Amino acid sequence: MIKSIIFCLLLVSTLSYAQTDWVKWDAVEVSYKISNASSKIIITQKQSPDSGIISFLRNTYAFFISDLDGDNCPFYPSCSHFFVQAISESGMIKGPLMFADRFMRDLNFFKSKNNYPIHRIGKFHDPVSNYTLNEQVIEITPIGSIGD
Amino acid sequence: MPMIITYSDMLCQDSSKDLDLFSYKSRLKFGNHLYFEKDYLRASYEFREYLKYEDNDTIRFRFANCFYNIGRYIEAADNFKSTFYNSTIQDESRLAYFKSLFFSGDFNLFRNSSRNEIYLPEKYLTEVNRLYFTSFLMDNSVLPDTGNFISAFPDSNKNDIRNFYIQKKFPQYKSPTTAALLSSVIPGLGKIYVGNITDGLTSFLVTGVLTFLAIDNFKHKHSFRGWLFTGLGAFFYAGNIYGSAAAATIFNAGVKFNFDNDVKSYFEKRNYFLPENNL
Repeated sequence: MIKSIIFCLLLVSTLSYAQTDWVKWDAVEVSYKISNASSKIIITQKQSPDSGIISFLRNTYAFFISDLDGDNCPFYPSCSHFFVQAISESGMIKGPLMFADRFMRDLNFFKSKNNYPIHRIGKFHDPVSNYTLNEQVIEITPIGSIGD
Repeated sequence: MPMIITYSDMLCQDSSKDLDLFSYKSRLKFGNHLYFEKDYLRASYEFREYLKYEDNDTIRFRFANCFYNIGRYIEAADNFKSTFYNSTIQDESRLAYFKSLFFSGDFNLFRNSSRNEIYLPEKYLTEVNRLYFTSFLMDNSVLPDTGNFISAFPDSNKNDIRNFYIQKKFPQYKSPTTAALLSSVIPGLGKIYVGNITDGLTSFLVTGVLTFLAIDNFKHKHSFRGWLFTGLGAFFYAGNIYGSAAAATIFNAGVKFNFDNDVKSYFEKRNYFLPENNL
């Protein structure tokens, strides 16, 4: 019984967020502009064994999932960027906890512009600095306004 | 180049071939023109040159006021001191001195100076006293006694001031420790305590589903999957505790930010209960 409920919940959520057919076959404007090198998500710089592992995980995710799935994260920075930033800024203990929290907030279907300020690129502005438990570095942007 | 045109245009009413544009009188005229046009930085240059030749209290005041208006408050305060004694505008200068210290943001310096009675302007004692009490709403110092605090302000504003005082003294903060403890008992409860209800419910569902999957897999002898979901469940459980503490910290920062903004806009709207400067 419980398995069926979980299955139904997963099915409904997957279908409601699935790509729609008719969008796929519409004519699209193709941009041939070379993307900015700094926005590439592949990390090549290795500073320590830890950052090497993180880079490997993230690059694997970027290669096998993110590049194919597209830019679907509703947050800025995206969850994968958040993960790398959290670990580089807060270390291997606090960083993954910050990511776990972010991941659960991402799963919240009811998040809206009433909960987060909107970044100028149209996503929810949710910087890593807000989750370090240090009140001095928290960026408060009034809800509904545009963050940097 | 445009500055030279403006300068000569302004002086054309006195035009004569002998007119020295750089005489101290011309500098005074031009400085006053710039001052009333609110071009305070350049006005201060002209006033500085003028004051090398002639002493004038009003111009000394305006010179200091130029720094005040461009946000160089400490320089302004230093310059206002030059008209503290034997001047017809000494009370205005002293009030402006305290305003400069107040707006410099160094509230400790301001409070120490305002308690030092030798500089207090007799005419504006009430105004300086109000600034003194207002400064407590703008930093983290210990608030003075309620009665003295509220009685410093006009009757029509006392209710608002009382509300600010209460908000400052008893801010509606949420404890990060309580949030973390609540989330450790029931996942997501800490977030609900902070006010992020849907985030709390999501945390509860995620950790609940992962725990169920772990138990169910162990029951059916799928130990690898059991341990996998146990690990994931523990990871998200720990993340939920951390996230609740973080949510409480963000909530508190928001409360402080909103309070500071409300106080600032309230007092700005009323010009900090200060008289207009007509000099």
